Amino acid sequence: MKPFREQNYYELLEILPDASPLEIRRAYKRVFELYQDESIVSYSFFSKEEREEILSLLEKAYLALIDLESRVQYDRRLIELGLMDRDGQYSNKMKEPIPIYDFKKVHFDVFEPDRRLDDLKERVSQNAIIQGILAQDILTGADLHKIRTELDIPLEEIADSTKVQIGMLRAIEEDNLENFPPAVYLKGFLKSYARYLQIDESVVVNGFIKRIGEGK
Amino acid sequence: MPNIWSIGGGKGGSGKSFITGNLGILLAKGGYKTLLVDLDLGAANLHTIIGLPLPEKSISDFLNKKVGTLQETVEPTPVPNLYLISGAMNNLDIANLAHEQKLKIIRNIPKLPYDYILLDLGAGTSFNTIDFFMISALGIFVTTPEPTSIENIYRLIRSVYFRKIRQVLSSHNFRTLAEEAQERDARATVSNPDILLYIMKELDPEKGEILENELRTFNFKLALNQLRKQDNPNIGALICKIIQRHLALKMHFLGNISFDERVHNAVCKKMPFLDLYPYTQTTLDLRTCHKNLLTIDEAEPILQNAVD
Ligand SMILES: Nc1ncnc2c1ncn2[C@@H]1O[C@H](COP(=O)(O)OP(=O)(O)OP(=O)(O)O)[C@@H](O)[C@H]1O
Ligand SMILES: [Mg+2]
Repeated sequence: MKPFREQNYYELLEILPDASPLEIRRAYKRVFELYQDESIVSYSFFSKEEREEILSLLEKAYLALIDLESRVQYDRRLIELGLMDRDGQYSNKMKEPIPIYDFKKVHFDVFEPDRRLDDLKERVSQNAIIQGILAQDILTGADLHKIRTELDIPLEEIADSTKVQIGMLRAIEEDNLENFPPAVYLKGFLKSYARYLQIDESVVVNGFIKRIGEGK
Repeated sequence: MPNIWSIGGGKGGSGKSFITGNLGILLAKGGYKTLLVDLDLGAANLHTIIGLPLPEKSISDFLNKKVGTLQETVEPTPVPNLYLISGAMNNLDIANLAHEQKLKIIRNIPKLPYDYILLDLGAGTSFNTIDFFMISALGIFVTTPEPTSIENIYRLIRSVYFRKIRQVLSSHNFRTLAEEAQERDARATVSNPDILLYIMKELDPEKGEILENELRTFNFKLALNQLRKQDNPNIGALICKIIQRHLALKMHFLGNISFDERVHNAVCKKMPFLDLYPYTQTTLDLRTCHKNLLTIDEAEPILQNAVD
């Protein structure tokens, strides 16, 4: 592996050369959190100077890639050095025609979820009822139903986005044990459900599995 | 040859003995003839975790030549397939272990006839602890989510890493190469192993590769113990990431092991936690770690090919 300092901007941010601006922003946020001086994981690993060097490298990488014009220039250099494939560039991908009728959808898909998730996370963390439920050792379908209605999200929306059948989601919320699938599938459904609501997946899965154990 | 796992962690009380004991029980229950070696010489307490009263025999009998072979110090335990070598020492502790005695232990452990041998190490990063840790290339690091514990993990990993680099540098006549590397870049010292390695490889690809391969033989794992509900569950995976990225070492995350107040009860009752509380999250977590240890190991060659 190349030492950190020798890595190119994409490697530093741990993204692919065709990453979208949204992916770049997310990646920067992720690495920034890991290397910032409050990070419990990295603060004792690096000296102050090392950390500053890393953070400034990451910032440089981010700024160079988030601006489309400077990114094109940077890519050109990588291509000249033989470090990047011309087809791998984001700017090339951008040149592919975007069907006009799809534009709104693309826009929605790429940008909305991000805001939706952040917003949802915030609401989950601020809601005392939800937090109270999540602190329980055992979670029932009724508990999950309560969380969902607190967040005001229709079941149809979850089914639509997660591709889990609505009947299955309903069975879960109604504690309809007979209609549950084998545990492996059930866990998968619970995870998708939790992820869509931005609540802790493992808390939901563990709490619910425990509940089944008790119910039998 | 037995599979040997070293279990270490810089900080006292992080749960090394707890995890060693319970992993040993799981291995034994899985049908493997398993030996636990308490190398926390002088402060040995592994026997209590698996529900054994203070053993009569101990490793000091071997060091004091009371018995002729290390195997003779092995005690059976209440768990079928599980055996223990106690580290209780009457008047010795790890700090004043003579060099010869240390070598005697290091040489003899791999010769013992078991499927799995688990080494429970003491806290700290003394030379002796590091040398015991390095009996095996498979090292399991145990930390809690506390900054102090994480800090000590890094210290231990670095100590092991530096010791390895130093060993290679001296044994292969690499000294001059290392000096050349440092002339080229002042940061290329053992404190910046990634840079040192990189520059050595540029100067002399063949030797650089030897060093890299030596470091690659390390197969490190991390278990994050005593995770409470309010803790960030990603800490363990992130620690592994930092180690992989900045020390170029193999470091796999085995999983989180939940904090459970009843661990204390089990220790007080001198009963294995797994047996006393089989249906708890903590037991489930221990089983997951055990499973990951066995499966990640088997999957290793495939994974490596995919990465390289
Ligand atoms: N998952 C856990 N939940 C709750 N308590 C735990 C857990 N793991 C360990 N403990 C407690 O922490 C204490 C220290 O554990 P243990 O003796 O295994 O640590 P250690 O790392 O071996 O310490 P030392 O370095 O002193 O040998 C014990 O009293 C044990 O009860
Ligand atoms: Mg111990």
